[in-house]
Amino acid sequence: MGDGKDIIALAGNPNSGKTTVFNALTGARQKVGNWPGVTVERKEGKAKLGDTEVTVVDLPGIYSLTANSIDERIARDFLLKEKPSLVAVVLDASNLERNLYLSLQLMELGVSRLVLICNMMDQARTKGLEIDTEGLSQALGVPIVPTVANKGIGIERLKEVLTAELARKEDPPPCPLRYGESVEEAIKELEENLKVHKNLSQRYPLRWLALKLLEGDQEYLAQLEMKEGNPSRGEIRAVLTTLRDKLESEIRYDLETALVERRYGYLKGLVSKFARKKWDWAERLSISDKIDRVITNRFLGLPIFLLLMWITFKLTFSVGGPIADLIDGLFGYLGGHAAALIASAHGPAWLVSLISDGIIGGVGSVLVFFPNIFILFLAIAVLEDSGYMARGAFVMDRIMHAMGLHGKSFIPMVLGFGCNIPGIMATRTMENEKDRILTILVNPLMSCSARLPVYILIAGALFAHHQGAIIFSIYMLGVVLAIVLARVFKSLFFKGEPAPLVMELPPYRLPTWKGVFLLAWQRSSIFVKKAGTIIFAAVVLVWFLAHFPTGAGYASQQSLIGRLGTILAPIMKPAGFGFWQAAVALFFGVLAKEVVVGTLGTLYHTGEEKLGAAIAQHFTPLAGYAFMVMTLIYIPCIASIGIIKRETNSWKWTAFAVGYSLVLGWLLAVLVYQGGRLLGLG
Amino acid sequence: MWPLALSKPGEKVVVRDIIGGMGIRRRLESMGLYPGEEVEVVLANGGPIILNVKGCRLGIGHGMAYKIMVSNNGEKGRK
Repeated sequence: MGDGKDIIALAGNPNSGKTTVFNALTGARQKVGNWPGVTVERKEGKAKLGDTEVTVVDLPGIYSLTANSIDERIARDFLLKEKPSLVAVVLDASNLERNLYLSLQLMELGVSRLVLICNMMDQARTKGLEIDTEGLSQALGVPIVPTVANKGIGIERLKEVLTAELARKEDPPPCPLRYGESVEEAIKELEENLKVHKNLSQRYPLRWLALKLLEGDQEYLAQLEMKEGNPSRGEIRAVLTTLRDKLESEIRYDLETALVERRYGYLKGLVSKFARKKWDWAERLSISDKIDRVITNRFLGLPIFLLLMWITFKLTFSVGGPIADLIDGLFGYLGGHAAALIASAHGPAWLVSLISDGIIGGVGSVLVFFPNIFILFLAIAVLEDSGYMARGAFVMDRIMHAMGLHGKSFIPMVLGFGCNIPGIMATRTMENEKDRILTILVNPLMSCSARLPVYILIAGALFAHHQGAIIFSIYMLGVVLAIVLARVFKSLFFKGEPAPLVMELPPYRLPTWKGVFLLAWQRSSIFVKKAGTIIFAAVVLVWFLAHFPTGAGYASQQSLIGRLGTILAPIMKPAGFGFWQAAVALFFGVLAKEVVVGTLGTLYHTGEEKLGAAIAQHFTPLAGYAFMVMTLIYIPCIASIGIIKRETNSWKWTAFAVGYSLVLGWLLAVLVYQGGRLLGLG
Repeated sequence: MWPLALSKPGEKVVVRDIIGGMGIRRRLESMGLYPGEEVEVVLANGGPIILNVKGCRLGIGHGMAYKIMVSNNGEKGRK
């Protein structure tokens, strides 16, 4: 066993507590969600096993080794191609039969070191299950460790077992599952025929290959026939057809189902033998069902969903607002004192300007919105952790269908209100590539929290009495545009039926404060980091461009930035904000949407409080509204563009996302302004 | 045999056939839903169908519920 070179892959069904086991093993803090397939990123951590350190990789939650969604492909490819030293499968002790299916597949695949972790033993016990892990372990020929990972129970034992397994030299016993005489004969015959196919037989065990072929797995068949010059390219298909026909006429229905049934039948036998039911849980489990009767109801589902969304936004503004004001006051105080301090120490005037105008005025006016953003993420985390999100997909399924989207598009869309990056990444749980790209393309129209500071600033300055309604209308505009564009794009580029919606619904649970705060903090801290890095850099750049050339006057039209703005401004003139400060703010806003506020703060050299007054001087309400429309739609931020490229793996779609949003944003901003003027609103 | 979408809450039915490509059949299989398996209809009130499959709750979208053919436990079908 190498020093720190061993890799342990953690696999398991969604909601089996895989992430909790990962945390318990590595001590890493990361998300434990309730939404199937929440672990989208490949997460790694180091675990100490005695004296040696090993790498633990947390794979996305999967049900089997058949690659349907990207998540499943990620997990399967990692297991097959990167060949981890050991695979540990986390099982939900209450649902062993379904959870063991994946383990059984891994055993058939001949994974050389396998450890099963029978997690959430406490819950199984309260449900009246008594599980003999020792007996089950002997029957399967694989070590099984019982754990209650969220309480740390069994983790030490797990580490010992992992250490022992990593050190073990001899091969594991073969998978004990047998399919009956006639199928076994067919497997043998196929194995003989497959031996000549070196390219495959070196990669997979012959028995696994034979089974997959009998099941009619197209992927393996294609791989088999791909290689030119194979001695028996057509032959294997002929052998296969004969065998399948023979078996199917014998068992009288299709072979694939027969094999699946045999596997589950085997597991059913094991579970009834080693997991004895002491009493029936059914009655108490139905609390979750009773909630579902209301939440997913045909008539109540949608109003409940809308109510939850309304509460989310209400909290974001009414609780976040006052805290934001406090922070703003603090920044104003700090800025004044810092400037006075530098001045009294006879510091150069430019330094005073950089600190008070550039950094306090720019970064400060962005950071002020942290409370709003944190509360938004907090509310989203509560929805996720409680188990509501998965239901939301079903409630929204028909509406999403009408839009040309998929029920599963719903979660990426809601996450998009927080930030489009996790929103776009959450599309990975979708099985159909067309559905996925379509969801990615319209996701930036979900107004993310970075755009919120712009709305709060503009609406606060120009629509003081209707701030909430105005901001809500911008959000709704984004949603309506997403609906319309999804339909248009669907009929233009992505014709065809969306994939069917089938999802596991984890039982409802009370979100834990720790889990929810941790998740909200992890997501919103990105915002603080952004403020410290990209926004800081952008603001200093803007300040620099505003400060030079010397003699031009700070942030005057003769400064570098003024000249850039003067070139860009005419483009925005039809939208009502054809002055250079607005043009420059939008220009730099592509770096991060908060920079729009930061730039305005720097250019009008004031903090957020007085910035409102400056805005009221320059913008008419109608022009301000057009400016918000533009900010909503035009070009996703740099980070989003990067993630769109990575997730669509196509420059074409990335360019399309940038192009359509820029054109649409400009058109609508102009339409709002000119239309409003015609109606006499200007 | 009838589509799952027409089942009533509380009913115990046996899956007989899943209409669809290999992809969806494989996916349902790995979630415990395959021809021959008995499942309990937990909820069916015009929204999604919620099933009890091996102790887990599976939500089945409206469109998909018409592609899963089920029958009573008594009718032995192909078996």
